[in-house]
Amino acid sequence: MSETLTAPPRGTPVAGVPGDRQPERTASAPRQAAFVPSALLAILQGSIVWIVLLALWFIAAKYFPLGDNPLIPSPQRTALALQESLPELWEGTLSSLSILIPGLLLATLLGIVSGIYVGSSPLLQRIFFPFARVAAPVPPTVYVPYAIAVLPTFKLSAIFVVFIGAFWPIFQNTAAGAHALESRYRDNARILGLNSHEFHWKVVFPAALPHIFSGMAVGLGFAFILLTVAELFGANAGLGRFVQYYADFADYPKMVAGILYTGVVTYLAMSGLEAIKRRALFWHR
Amino acid sequence: MAAELRLEGVDFSYEDATPILEKIDLTVPAGQFVCLLGSSGSGKSTLLRLLAGLQFPRHGRLSWNGQPITGPSLDRGVVFQDYALFPWMSVVDNIAIAIGKAQPKARKAERREQAEACLVKVGLENAIGQYPFELSGGMRQRAAIARALALRSPVLLMDEPFGALDPTNRARLQDLLLEIWETEVPRKTIVFVTHDIDEALYLGDRIVVLGSTPGRLIADLPVGFPRHRERRALFDSAEFHALRESIAETLAADTLRQLVAA
Repeated sequence: MSETLTAPPRGTPVAGVPGDRQPERTASAPRQAAFVPSALLAILQGSIVWIVLLALWFIAAKYFPLGDNPLIPSPQRTALALQESLPELWEGTLSSLSILIPGLLLATLLGIVSGIYVGSSPLLQRIFFPFARVAAPVPPTVYVPYAIAVLPTFKLSAIFVVFIGAFWPIFQNTAAGAHALESRYRDNARILGLNSHEFHWKVVFPAALPHIFSGMAVGLGFAFILLTVAELFGANAGLGRFVQYYADFADYPKMVAGILYTGVVTYLAMSGLEAIKRRALFWHR
Repeated sequence: MAAELRLEGVDFSYEDATPILEKIDLTVPAGQFVCLLGSSGSGKSTLLRLLAGLQFPRHGRLSWNGQPITGPSLDRGVVFQDYALFPWMSVVDNIAIAIGKAQPKARKAERREQAEACLVKVGLENAIGQYPFELSGGMRQRAAIARALALRSPVLLMDEPFGALDPTNRARLQDLLLEIWETEVPRKTIVFVTHDIDEALYLGDRIVVLGSTPGRLIADLPVGFPRHRERRALFDSAEFHALRESIAETLAADTLRQLVAA
């Protein structure tokens, strides 16, 4: 997530006490103003870690060979394995997406709808928050074996687990956003005489969108983790399955290729969400 | 029942805190432009929120046309100081949603047409499709006025609507408000909260002065200047200066009383 690497934009929820961020921000402000890196320099600075890691990889592969089947396959061998496996990886991607997308969509839909209503009603908060406080922090990975055992197909159980993992962060952030509705918007809605449906969907929902997108970014991350974990358990296709399968055969070039490929897919999904967020929140200074 | 806004023995305080408003009795006949003048802490904004039905008094009664005020109503439009447009809606959509509430039967195209007409009325014909973040403070406040007009409320409650504007924009919007109010038949009843004596004198038919801690009425003065007022001529007139002095003295005396009490 690019958001965790840069200063969070205004209005996004920040963990920790807001007070202790204040001095840090004021201290770094003059420094930023004094030194503004050019675009080229910024790209160079951003590439440092990549270049160093790649160099280390080349060196490690060259000077620590471990027999015929090196644990650290060289970049060249990995690239070859990646190219060779692309059709298989593409099929794995489709299989994984057929789990990820339904689970994520369901979690987004239910998370937003329930979050909007619960977050804007003190009564619903009193009813649901005591349960959510206990249920939400449970690491969703613990549900994986049971879901696989209980639900009729692997796919259904994987979708369920992805749903659980993505639901809580989306629900909690949406509810927090709805709860934090600025009183002037609430007053405005009352003065205009908006009905309950208009109030929730034309006022609370757009006002909570910055929070909702934060929740969706966390939810998407969780969804990928749970997807791959579930696939390690019982899939016969998919990205997590690909990595596990070649690890079992000690085919490390393919395994590493699978890890890199999964990283790219995750990054693309996150970037896609980021792009949607920027589009949807254009009005948010 | 006469068309009027009436407050009888209105007290307000937050739970077990010091009183904000004490024994407010006030009757505003329909069509009058009343300025509520007071320093900070006089509870003038609270009084406006009570009239809007956003908050409720501890004791006493508020009514419009004999009907008790039990909550917000389309009878009473409100313009706040902070730009209270919804930032996620374009300017025209902000107005159209108000029209949709005032005339539930209007079709979508009609709403938009009327919203555009409202925006033209406040001089925002070039900002129709823009979003609030693209507008200057003065333009946003024009849009807020357009939205209040779109509600077609007979009563307009304004809480320091021009308080955050620079002097030039402030004067322009004062003139715009008067122009709209003076040409409408019948005229709206306006309760306008401000802490600026000149603004109150320029706009109002009547100035009600609130004293501080707790807020209570300390003066109620008619402003007899004829309508279609000329800003420069008015501000230079002896009557204006006399009235201005007397109000300033009233406010100063109240401040002194507070200091002595403390």
